[in-house]
Amino acid sequence: MTITDTAVERAEAPPGGAHRDPTSTGGLVARLAFLAVVDAVALFALARLLDDGQWFAAAMVAVVTITLNVIYLIPGAVPAKYLAPGTVLLLLFVAYPVGYTVFLSTTNFGTGNFLSQEQAIDQILRTAEVGDEESARFDLQVLLSPEQEIAYLLTDESGALFLGTAEGLTQLDDADLTTEGDEVVAVGEFAVAALGDLADIQQEVQDFEVPTDRGVIKFASFTTASERTKSIVYDEERDVMVEVATGVEFSPTGGRYVSEDGRELQPGWRSGVGTENYERIVDNSAIRGPFLRTFIWTFAFAILSVVLALAVGLFLALALDDERLKGRRVMRSLLIIPYAIPSFMSALVWQGLLNRDLGAVNRLLGADIGWLSDPWLARFSVLLVNTWLGFPYMMLIATGALQGIPSSLKEAARVDGASGPQIFRRITFPLLMISMSPLLIAAFAFNFNNFNVIYLLNRGGPPVAGSETPAGHTDILISYTWRLAFEGGRGQDFGFAAAISVVIFLLVATISAISFKRTKAFEELI
Amino acid sequence: MRARWRWLALLLALVMVAAACGDSDDGDDAEPAAETTAETTEAPAETTEAPAETTEAPAETTEAPAEEEAATTTTTEPVVRGAGDLVIWADDTRTPALLPFAEQFGEENGITVTVQELTPFQDIDDRVLVAGPAGEGPDIFIGAHDQLGGLVESGVVAPIDLGDKAGSYSEAALGALTFDGQLYGLPYSVENIALIRNVDLVPDAPASFEELEEVALGLVESGEAEVPLAIQQNPGDPFHNYPLFTALGGYVFGRDAGGNFLPDDLGIDSEGGLTAAAAFSAWSENGLINGDLDFDGMIEAFASGAAPFAITGPWAVPNFSDVNYVVEPIPAVQGGTPQPFIGVQGFVVSAFAENPIFAQTFVVDFLATEEAALGLFEADPRPPAQLDALAAVSDDPDIVGFGEAGQNGVPMPGIPAMNSVWQAWTDAYQLVFAGEDAEQAFTDAATQIRNLIEQG
Repeated sequence: MTITDTAVERAEAPPGGAHRDPTSTGGLVARLAFLAVVDAVALFALARLLDDGQWFAAAMVAVVTITLNVIYLIPGAVPAKYLAPGTVLLLLFVAYPVGYTVFLSTTNFGTGNFLSQEQAIDQILRTAEVGDEESARFDLQVLLSPEQEIAYLLTDESGALFLGTAEGLTQLDDADLTTEGDEVVAVGEFAVAALGDLADIQQEVQDFEVPTDRGVIKFASFTTASERTKSIVYDEERDVMVEVATGVEFSPTGGRYVSEDGRELQPGWRSGVGTENYERIVDNSAIRGPFLRTFIWTFAFAILSVVLALAVGLFLALALDDERLKGRRVMRSLLIIPYAIPSFMSALVWQGLLNRDLGAVNRLLGADIGWLSDPWLARFSVLLVNTWLGFPYMMLIATGALQGIPSSLKEAARVDGASGPQIFRRITFPLLMISMSPLLIAAFAFNFNNFNVIYLLNRGGPPVAGSETPAGHTDILISYTWRLAFEGGRGQDFGFAAAISVVIFLLVATISAISFKRTKAFEELI
Repeated sequence: MRARWRWLALLLALVMVAAACGDSDDGDDAEPAAETTAETTEAPAETTEAPAETTEAPAETTEAPAEEEAATTTTTEPVVRGAGDLVIWADDTRTPALLPFAEQFGEENGITVTVQELTPFQDIDDRVLVAGPAGEGPDIFIGAHDQLGGLVESGVVAPIDLGDKAGSYSEAALGALTFDGQLYGLPYSVENIALIRNVDLVPDAPASFEELEEVALGLVESGEAEVPLAIQQNPGDPFHNYPLFTALGGYVFGRDAGGNFLPDDLGIDSEGGLTAAAAFSAWSENGLINGDLDFDGMIEAFASGAAPFAITGPWAVPNFSDVNYVVEPIPAVQGGTPQPFIGVQGFVVSAFAENPIFAQTFVVDFLATEEAALGLFEADPRPPAQLDALAAVSDDPDIVGFGEAGQNGVPMPGIPAMNSVWQAWTDAYQLVFAGEDAEQAFTDAATQIRNLIEQG
């Protein structure tokens, strides 16, 4: 392709055509290049996914790739060409995480329930093999027949030799052994194996059992074996675990084997639990206790964060909008700095600054103020830091919006005798709000889930004295969720965390939807 | 609104992942971790796979001659296959210590051993939890006993059988790695906190904690010191406070006759626990303990000679080289013996090890020896759990001091219920340091913990 070619073709395109001719060489090359990249990435991903046995994901990738190819290769279908990339990304980064979170919230996924049921059964049976003081211990040499059959040459503590096979133990005497020097090298057709020989039959060796009167002899290490008894056996047909000593049966209930008297076997497995996680939010008084106060503070925090950041940002934008001010560009640039530093870093820096004994703030003031340890001061500090982090954004969008207000409006107001404050209140501010209110709603939604600032500044603290579960005065819903799901109870509780996330998502979505509707009404009014 | 930073961070993470994947030999690791391989993973597998008996030479030459003969007399000797790789996950400090042993074991047995470096240490068990069942985990990893309980409950680690060798390990260390009668790892190091005294400021060991208190506060009053006792808090630190808490009769979980921790017997609001709470309140009021001192502040205070005493562990000691110090047990508090938490680290075999036989043999036959324990100690000096090795390094005064302090120690409970303890207990100390009623704070914390355990 050359520039002139394209130019010629463009010139030849019918006049008044709304879009570029889809058959143009430049367009075709660009499209093919784009598709080549997409297909290459897809093929690479496909190979990996098929390799891992991820059939569903592989099928999805294949479908999406074929769809994209079809859309961009056939003529026409122009709207689809524009919508397809966005739609794919939307599905991938928005719809999929939301869908997966909803799915997780109906499972018991978390500590104790990580495995599949087959894996859990294996693990239960394996840990149920126990040795005790009476169990015999042997020195072991692993034997392999030419057909790769496994047998054990066992020497007990008295020095007696045994051949252990899947049928049982047979005592050996020296005549059975083929020796070289002091080393035994073979027993009958079985040859003594080196560790490396077992490379490909490790699972078989691990599962190999020599039955005895008390239980089975199993591999402990390459040179030792030990007798163990099976305290639990699995009845595959009825899918129950049976405790050998008592005959108690454990049947699968909610991802665990549970006996009738309520004992549970470890580990459990991943399984659906329906709405149980949601019921826990509603039912459990320990969770509901601090939930309400956290809920209220979450709203207060989100609203105040937006209002304060807006107030500071708008004030600075107005001040810097005044042409009489010198060095406006430098000042604007400097004021944007808080926005340019990653918030998790500035939160940690503020944590240091506000430290009671060692922090710069108290040292400068020569005071001993518990900025982060007094409940109200901690709330104040969190808002202070979040305002500091948030005002540059507000300043930026307000500066932009101010440019969009025609100066003729202000002039007309001035001619009519309005004072500065009156102009701001009656003209500038309402006009600003039209363009800024959607952004304010977005900022509210963001702060509603502003985990970074809350958690990194003070981990939600200081603690609420006497609450039913650990909770802090500055905890918002999302940081409180973190506490419940990952710092308490049984360790990591992804299913429960997902359920609370879904609830928070619904809350924020509802509030945002209502707010957007309201602002639209506001817009129409003006 | 600050979405752009998240995109930048994501981009950065992607670049790092890409870089990590590019470096790795197997190109199959999901975790963006640096990787140190003793030998490459894939290459030998392919070279040894194709040909038959002729290629066994490189693998077998290092073995004992007798075995070599055995191998040649029996014509059925199968070829050593590269599938016999053993993969170990360790953190940055222990990877170099482990590498020579991994290489030696690999050479002796004609297999390839890979040591992958993952940091930080605390993240290894979380990764094992996810990667193990997915078939992407290691054969062996280094784990801390207090995290092991969750892994055992989730069923991702395999029991090992030390047999007679168990006798050469400290009972506390074995006990810490034992759950429901099964041992889930070979103890490697045993760590606990102790009192560290600045000999220039305080020449003689205080006979009691009351004497320590008097001396420390006296030194601050006379201006010779700034911080009476450097013990890390900020906002509260149940781990570092535990020796003092236990000395006054408190405990976290009771234990049954078999040494198992009982989640139903919580001792934070026991009589002794409440006595201890009141004592912490008093210590906070008279300035002995500062609730705002964090780890860095603690290090700074003792390393600069501004604190006569510190209560901390072996990990902090390398910072104190400018101070003339001695490590010793914390003296009795009102006549009660302080019992620090003992942290045990060990080599744990994954339940989803691809090479369980190699893994168990490496751990039980190869690492469970005095030589291996000493070698690991020399590369990275942590108090060994192997008793012969511990005796061999007993000329190191720091090791001896920490060891003496640890004799009264108790293993940090590894049961999952312990997860419910930390936050509530930290909050309780924070409230005590803020001047709230100590008894109330600890009673509330105990209620919270019981609620959490019940809810989990």
